[in-house]
Amino acid sequence: MIPGKYRSVSGRAANNVNCGLHLVIQTSSLPEKSKVRLTKVEFRLNKETSSFPGRLLQHDLERNYSSRQGDHVNLVSSSMSSFPILQRSSEEKILYSDRLTLERQKLTVCPIIDGEEHLRLLNFQHNFITRIQNISNLQRLIFLDLYDNQIEEISGLSTLRSLRVLLLGKNRIRKISNLETLKSLDVLDLHGNQITKIENVNHLCDLRVLNLARNLLGHVDNLKGLDSLAELNLRHNQITFVRDVDNLPCLQRLFLSFNNISSFDSVSCLAESTSLSDISFDGNPIAQESWYKHTVLQNMTQLRQLDMKRVTEEERRMASVVAKKEEEKKRESHKQSLLKEKKRLTINNVARKWDLQQNRVVNTLTSQDGKDSDSPSQDTPQIEGSAVSTFTEETGSVDSGLTVTDTHLVEVDGDTLSLYGSGALESLDRNWSAQTAGMVTTVSFTFIEFDEIVQVLPKLKLKFPNSLHLKFKETNLVMLQQFNALAQLRRVDQLTIDPQGNPVVNFTLWKYYVLFRLSHFSMQKINGTEVTQNDMIMAERLFGILAHVASSELPPYRMISILGDARKKQFRYLLETKGKKPGIISEENNDSRRLTGENTNRATLNYTTREFYNEKLEEIKEKNKFCKMYIEDLVKEATEINMKNEALHKLWPQMFIELVRDAVIEIRNKNSYMKLCLQQITDQK
Amino acid sequence: MLSPERLALPDYEYLAQRHVLTYMEDAVCQLLENKEDINQYGIARFFTEYFNSVCQGTHVLFREFSFIQATPHNRASFLRAFWRCFRTVGKNGDLLTMKEYHCLLQLLCPDFPLELTQKAARIVLMDDAMDCLMSFSDFLFAFQIQFYYSEFLESVAAIYQDLLSGKNPNTVIVPTSSSGQHRQRPALGEASLLEGVEASLFYQRLENLWDRHKYSCPPPALVKEVLSNVQRLTFYGFLVALSRHHGINQALGALPDKGDLMHDPAMDEELERLLAQVPGLVNSVTANPEASYLSSRTPPRVASPWRPLHHTRKVDAESDGSTEETDESET
Repeated sequence: MIPGKYRSVSGRAANNVNCGLHLVIQTSSLPEKSKVRLTKVEFRLNKETSSFPGRLLQHDLERNYSSRQGDHVNLVSSSMSSFPILQRSSEEKILYSDRLTLERQKLTVCPIIDGEEHLRLLNFQHNFITRIQNISNLQRLIFLDLYDNQIEEISGLSTLRSLRVLLLGKNRIRKISNLETLKSLDVLDLHGNQITKIENVNHLCDLRVLNLARNLLGHVDNLKGLDSLAELNLRHNQITFVRDVDNLPCLQRLFLSFNNISSFDSVSCLAESTSLSDISFDGNPIAQESWYKHTVLQNMTQLRQLDMKRVTEEERRMASVVAKKEEEKKRESHKQSLLKEKKRLTINNVARKWDLQQNRVVNTLTSQDGKDSDSPSQDTPQIEGSAVSTFTEETGSVDSGLTVTDTHLVEVDGDTLSLYGSGALESLDRNWSAQTAGMVTTVSFTFIEFDEIVQVLPKLKLKFPNSLHLKFKETNLVMLQQFNALAQLRRVDQLTIDPQGNPVVNFTLWKYYVLFRLSHFSMQKINGTEVTQNDMIMAERLFGILAHVASSELPPYRMISILGDARKKQFRYLLETKGKKPGIISEENNDSRRLTGENTNRATLNYTTREFYNEKLEEIKEKNKFCKMYIEDLVKEATEINMKNEALHKLWPQMFIELVRDAVIEIRNKNSYMKLCLQQITDQK
Repeated sequence: MLSPERLALPDYEYLAQRHVLTYMEDAVCQLLENKEDINQYGIARFFTEYFNSVCQGTHVLFREFSFIQATPHNRASFLRAFWRCFRTVGKNGDLLTMKEYHCLLQLLCPDFPLELTQKAARIVLMDDAMDCLMSFSDFLFAFQIQFYYSEFLESVAAIYQDLLSGKNPNTVIVPTSSSGQHRQRPALGEASLLEGVEASLFYQRLENLWDRHKYSCPPPALVKEVLSNVQRLTFYGFLVALSRHHGINQALGALPDKGDLMHDPAMDEELERLLAQVPGLVNSVTANPEASYLSSRTPPRVASPWRPLHHTRKVDAESDGSTEETDESET
């Protein structure tokens, strides 16, 4: 209330011209008066005075007189001092004993006011006064108006202990000072000056209104002690930050329009203030921000007016909703960044382990050989600081997609399943929901030995039937043969083999071999480049004969055994994990049968992982030993028989001759032979 | 049948010379491995197939290295298989590194040792930068020598080292060298006129080997021929000469001559047939009659790999048609 009326009075003295001097003040702290009204004013010029010091000239006075301003005063120049002396007629003194108006008197100095010790209201508006002087005797003064003068320094007020209202607007004051004694000050108006700093007001514990608009303030500080301050006007300054406002227990209105506030942090103390109900920020850079209104309303819930507009319930609700959303987003992004950091650390861990495994990194700290895959705990001493403790799966469903441990990382991100580290392969055993598994179209393997991946390919086929794009990085792909293993999958559209960690990419022919071996997939892209018809033809041209040889020239029993091997292997991988689900096994049977039907001429090109191959070789060695023994026995037999045969051949002629000779000798003498035979027969009986 | 030489050998040695036992053992081994499947159609048939494949040389496909290396016939079959399967790679003109050739070898034999391939590469590259690219024919012939005669070559290497380091005091003085000193262990393969050993001396030492490695040695006459052409030679120079010698190649019998290396009409026909089946190939129907028409012409046109096949065929047909027409018109 007060400021309104007050403002209109002080700033717009011109309005009052027509009604004479119409000074209306309604203030509760001036109990003596309810209304002070100065109406008609007469100006009588003392014609005895011819000249005044300063710029006060006769014709000016006459002019002023014609405009009927100023009080009924007598300005007498004193011959003693340089100041004019003011005198009023006694009727005037009685009528308006407590107020004196010297508006627009072209005063350059404060005149000496004699005999007016009861004066309570003194108005010097619109003059050219440069210094406040000669009013020390007016110790009852309550209201002093020096608006629109040329005062450069606040001074000469030290005796005015009762002063309640001090209007010093539109002057040239550079510094707030010399107000120490004005402890009862209620209203202090210093607008339109050149003040750069708020200071020396901390003792004004009764001050309710402080107007520092249109000054040169850069920041707001040092407001301690203004325990009654209810309104603080700081419009049109250069304020960039505000402090100490929370130390003003009664502050209700704060006007910061047209300053230089750009972030809410610079006015963060406002959020602490519980008394603020009216605030304005318009004309600041902060008001242009999209989050301005919501942030202000959210942080200052007690606000009733913002930028001179009432704050509706709707706006408040909106603000809290938005703020909550912001909070959520911030928390979410914080969580995300935490997760990302964890992921990064884990991937680093896995990479380091991989390097060790590949004997790439010389281990100076421990005496390990380099090939350690079973004891991740041994690794942690070397890995600086970043020991991410084993995480159980994220809250909620298993499908939330991220598992982070020391040694491996599994992540499902929309359509991509990423596996880092060989431990991650076990995650394929998990119970993936049909939805998650169905969405996965890309599977990426990093820091895992290809041989290990081969063993889980059947599982992959089962659990992620839509996986069409396979990516391999740092998986130790060294032979073309290894690509044969991919043939067992259902379908692969795209293949990406990262050169890093996969030496096979350095071969000239690798792409053609892949296209040839996996021709039944009709692959679209390899390492990002489209597969053209020419590529397919080239692949066929290069390796077609190999396929032909591998199929038609193999003896049938080899064909069967090789194919049987492959199928057996697949079953083995499946059975090891899944157990005995007959339905699935028969499906596998159908699949592999279908597979062999599709491209029989390539089906014999298989890949056995090194471990299994070595096992097979061991088996073969065993069998070889047995066979060798068996054949040796056979050979021994055969050679014995052969020897006997040869011996027989050698001896037979002789034997035959002897037989014949014996027989001939026997029957040479017919008679004796007949006798012999008869005797033999009788002997037999 | 009952020739005296045959009867002169004791049984076991006779069998060993022909490696009969190896095949018998292997046959029984294979039988054991696949007894469930083979039971279905009988053992007699199995043995027939087995020995047929041994004759044809297809028994070494996808077998383990120990078997492939076991007999000279196996080695030769393997070389031939490698040639037939990957001749197209050579025909395409690609130059590959040693590692890539090794990869191709591994396609046919998963546990083929790398050292053999490396040694073969060294022959081609004269023990120089081992990452160099090699052409198919160079590699194949060098590989043939290295693989088929591996034991022989090892002994030769030992002899060569001995000669170089001058272990035999008789070999120190070399009349043709300008510096009369003999060098202690010079590195193999340096390009220097004084490098290597004297050929005739070398041959003398080699003569002992023919008794030791009865089964896999190059014919002595041919080796002598190689050595008689030069005064001095390095180890790898010797090997390169061996690999390039047509006579030795023919004696081995596994690979065709260098000039014919890319030539295999039967397989080319097969390849054309396969190419016609590549899915998505346009005009595959019209291509077939043209294919048969083309195959009757000799030699078959080598289509450029970068243009789709049916184009060249069409061109051929058109050009043929026009000449025929002009012929007719002339008459």
